[in-house]
Amino acid sequence: MNNGRSFKAQKVIDRMGQKLTRQMVGSLTACVHCGMCTDSCHYVLANPGDPTYAPAYKADKIRKLFKHHYDWTGKVFPKWVKAGSVYTDEELEELKDTVFGKCTNCRRCTVNCPMGVDLATFNRMARGLLCHVGIMPEGVEYVAKEQWEIGNQMGVLKEDYIETIEWQEEELQEEMGDPDAKIPIDKKDAHIVYSINPREVKHDPRSILDAAKIFYAAKEDYTMPSEGWDMTNFGLFNGDDDLGGAVASRVYDKVDELNGKKLVISECGHGYRSTRCEGPNWGKRDIAFEAESSVITMLRYIKEGKIKVDKSKNPGAYTFHDSCNNARSCGLTEEPRELLSLVVEEFREMYPNRAENFCCTGGGGAMSMSEYKPERLKSAKIKADQLTATGTHTVVTSCHNCVDGLNDLIGHYKIDMEVTQLVHLVANALVM
Amino acid sequence: MVNKVQINNSTLSVVKADVTDYVIDAFVFYARNDLKLGSGFGNAIALRGGPSIRKELEKLGPLNVTEVVMTTAGDMKAGHIIHANGPKFQEENTNQKLKTTIINALKIADAKGMGSVAFPPMGAGFYGVPLEISAKITIETIADFLSSGPGIKEVVVCGNDNRELKALQAALETLKQKAA
Repeated sequence: MNNGRSFKAQKVIDRMGQKLTRQMVGSLTACVHCGMCTDSCHYVLANPGDPTYAPAYKADKIRKLFKHHYDWTGKVFPKWVKAGSVYTDEELEELKDTVFGKCTNCRRCTVNCPMGVDLATFNRMARGLLCHVGIMPEGVEYVAKEQWEIGNQMGVLKEDYIETIEWQEEELQEEMGDPDAKIPIDKKDAHIVYSINPREVKHDPRSILDAAKIFYAAKEDYTMPSEGWDMTNFGLFNGDDDLGGAVASRVYDKVDELNGKKLVISECGHGYRSTRCEGPNWGKRDIAFEAESSVITMLRYIKEGKIKVDKSKNPGAYTFHDSCNNARSCGLTEEPRELLSLVVEEFREMYPNRAENFCCTGGGGAMSMSEYKPERLKSAKIKADQLTATGTHTVVTSCHNCVDGLNDLIGHYKIDMEVTQLVHLVANALVM
Repeated sequence: MVNKVQINNSTLSVVKADVTDYVIDAFVFYARNDLKLGSGFGNAIALRGGPSIRKELEKLGPLNVTEVVMTTAGDMKAGHIIHANGPKFQEENTNQKLKTTIINALKIADAKGMGSVAFPPMGAGFYGVPLEISAKITIETIADFLSSGPGIKEVVVCGNDNRELKALQAALETLKQKAA
């Protein structure tokens, strides 16, 4: 015990001092409690009588520690600024339920804050402080360890990954009627190195095949890597910058080793944000190659005439769900719409959309935290209403996590809708 | 960079490899106190080794921190697994406990007649021992043990990626310079 504080609580306080960046301090000091964030949060909208879901309330759980230990105002006027500390492991467990269980780090409150307070950024930091001392939901522990030690979030062994690619290559040869059609692995000097989400190997190998069909049609010089192929990154969710850096570096190292010219990231919101935007900072390194979303790659193929598509092959009305990480954190809002409009008969907007879209409620690693599932699905009412209002039969998204989140809520609220991704629609619309 | 050193009649080397997929007499698994295999390398052991390992573990444990047990490795490339319950998540006296865990793993390997043993960088990654500290303690503790002339002739420390390999190579280089 230190000042009456448990060993873990003291470690959390000490670690916070190492993790405070200028951006975080700005957010921790700027809140004026105006309440503009309140109605932006899907948890609040689904729980109107419960103030503990309000972003400003949740932020204050973390802010009080900063004020008490690292800000001069907390030393001079502790009561005025509501400075406070944590002393017991039980208090850390309570904080865990707030930072993991009541927020998906979707950043909708961030874009609606007139003061620029980025709750998701310091909520992520708080997650990292707790994980540092071993306090985290069981599912977070499970997935983080998979990615640290096996190299991907779903514990796919190297031999199983290779076998799946080879299986999809056989499917490609059959569907294209070309026994020489290949899904290259570890080809040197390729123009594109294609990285994927382990969910594609484990639950949706069709997405690997569909991407291969598009590359085949475009006559692309590409390869898949034998390792460093997982572009997802649980470090974004559990706040572990070391994990974030290690995972991103495995991807970057492999592109360097293969002398790839461009890294293409398959459809995944948090993977795109982590690998393209955050990874170099976490890994403390530069990357010498271009990185782009497969959405942009597919759109370019159509625009450049490398592939031809027929939108009548995807009849009916489709709507689009923006992944929070793609839209709010990376600005990837127009390209998926342009691409979708080119490959489906009818595209209908969902409202609100783009940076104002609501989370699928599976973000921030929420799908791995089964203990918070009832609260998550309750908050999903907001998304369910959005989906229903479109009157479409299919919702399209550019994120594997969103596919699972949306399928979960569609089942829970008994909505007659399917979920798909752009890669499937583009592959289906191909004119060979 | 240095990848191998000779210590009396034994070698200590570092490689980039998956420790659970390595041809060796025994490898060390950084275990939980309840000996449940869990995820990560534990998942790899369960998938590659088959159910016999779990059955052996049911009769063993729980372990106190620094304690180790050995099982066979089922269908894996290795012959045996040393399940070592090292310190986790910044617990008190982590460095000393880590050192004791490594020594206990080497002692049981030696006592059971293992000629070659593979280690991961102990405690690094998920359990939060900083990589440079883990690499230093892992390499130095193994080197100390090998200098006492045990029956173990080969120890390999497996880095999971370039980042881990570089840290292990740096620790081995420092060891070599100290010995020179």
